Amino acid sequence: MRWSSGSVPPARDALRLAGGLAAALALTAGVPAAADLAFVTCQNGDALSVVDTAARAEIARWDVPGKPAGVAAGPGAVYTVSPDDKTVRRWSLSGALGAARALDGGPIGIALDAGRGRVFVSDWYNARAWVLDADTLALTGELTTRAAPSGLALSADGAWLAIAERDADRVSLFDAQTLARVHAVAVGSRPFGLGFAPDGRLFVGNVGSNDVTVIDPASGEVIATVPVQDHPYGVAFAAGRAFVTNQYAGTLSVISLDDLSAVATLPAGEYPEGIAATSDGQIAVANWFDNTLHLIDAASLQTVAQIDTADGPRAFGAFVLDTGR
Amino acid sequence: MNRRTFLATGLVTGAALALLPGIALAHGPSRQKITVTAEVAADPAEVWAAIGDFQDLTWHPAVVSQTGAGGNDIDATRVLHLSEAGADGPVIAEVLYKYDADKMTYSYRITDVAVEVLPVTNYSSHLTVKPREGGGSLVEWRGAFYRGYPNNDPPEDLNDEAAIAAVTAVYEAGLDALVERFGAPGS
Repeated sequence: MRWSSGSVPPARDALRLAGGLAAALALTAGVPAAADLAFVTCQNGDALSVVDTAARAEIARWDVPGKPAGVAAGPGAVYTVSPDDKTVRRWSLSGALGAARALDGGPIGIALDAGRGRVFVSDWYNARAWVLDADTLALTGELTTRAAPSGLALSADGAWLAIAERDADRVSLFDAQTLARVHAVAVGSRPFGLGFAPDGRLFVGNVGSNDVTVIDPASGEVIATVPVQDHPYGVAFAAGRAFVTNQYAGTLSVISLDDLSAVATLPAGEYPEGIAATSDGQIAVANWFDNTLHLIDAASLQTVAQIDTADGPRAFGAFVLDTGR
Repeated sequence: MNRRTFLATGLVTGAALALLPGIALAHGPSRQKITVTAEVAADPAEVWAAIGDFQDLTWHPAVVSQTGAGGNDIDATRVLHLSEAGADGPVIAEVLYKYDADKMTYSYRITDVAVEVLPVTNYSSHLTVKPREGGGSLVEWRGAFYRGYPNNDPPEDLNDEAAIAAVTAVYEAGLDALVERFGAPGS
């Protein structure tokens, strides 16, 4: 029902879908096709662009009201957070609205704990995070944070929930089972986006100090502080590397996970923001000003596709899902 | 009308905001963006020669005078004076973060402005001159910014729409002046 929008004629979507599937099928000869979809929240356009990252095409565009920014994709569901209408929504992978919940405050970031059926939403204005039921979006609890909580992430093993507390220059690590705060870690200036590496370490982009803090979640110790470029915004991992979007610099910093050394600095679009890895070794980057999603081969570091999206892609969160189609 | 916003002063609220530490770091939830373009008859080199110096924005009708340091090097600064009162009147402080004379483009950020002068926060901007198909130049001015009111539920004069209107008016006033100076293509 939401596979088209006012700005894109349905016929064009249908063509895109057909083209995308054809391209996807063409890739299946001999190798298993990746089946990742990127769910790109487009804040200025009140939309969500669905990109097939194997076919390298936008296959759908949903209308999402309220200037969506935060996003979390999980098995069978996509969650969006719209700060303007202060509403969290759950969608099916084909864009059917399943639930919506208005929250009194400034909802922005979101993380999904699919195993426990919870989503966590940061409240930018009120120093807390909401805990919602992943199905009904009913409010089930609250976590107290310091000022301006923004990015959230759940560790791959489900043990840790991390929340960047931007205006406190701090990251809190919660036991994802009990929701007790275990560590409060001083990081660089104004941490915003964060993510867990495959080896379990937590990487935090500090937009004010232009560096990335690397944390051992078990001990709560800072392992290293790695310089990047202007306004590091998000981080993703592939091919033994961390990739950091530098929002003001218009670049990606590539860091080796072996020794945290700088591997390369790659050109990005203008205002690169949300970043996530696909299951087939690509890095997807939303370029907010350019209205594009770039796909970068994580091994060769080549930009292999530039895909148009709706206006103002932010994709703030875990926006890529391996659908296993 | 919007020009008035650009030029207006609001010392009382400005001073009150200045007392709140870190206020310039806070921002609203939705970053805005605009692109305004104009076509002029002069070739790009001529237009860039007129507007490509970060230390001289006085080609803009709202900029009465300015001071600055660092030329066109990265991290160069400038302070735009928007009235005859110079530094004592409404001002905008800016810093250069990208400069490419070959591509005829520079990028800068506002480091300090009262929201009564320009109702934005976290503002960055690019000014670019490109060749126009068929002759002449295309001048493009792009901005990215948050509204002036950093908290929830902004008042009307500091909301997203007010920010967009104000920045659009600034760009249009500047580009209109260039069209007047260099003429429209084909005219």
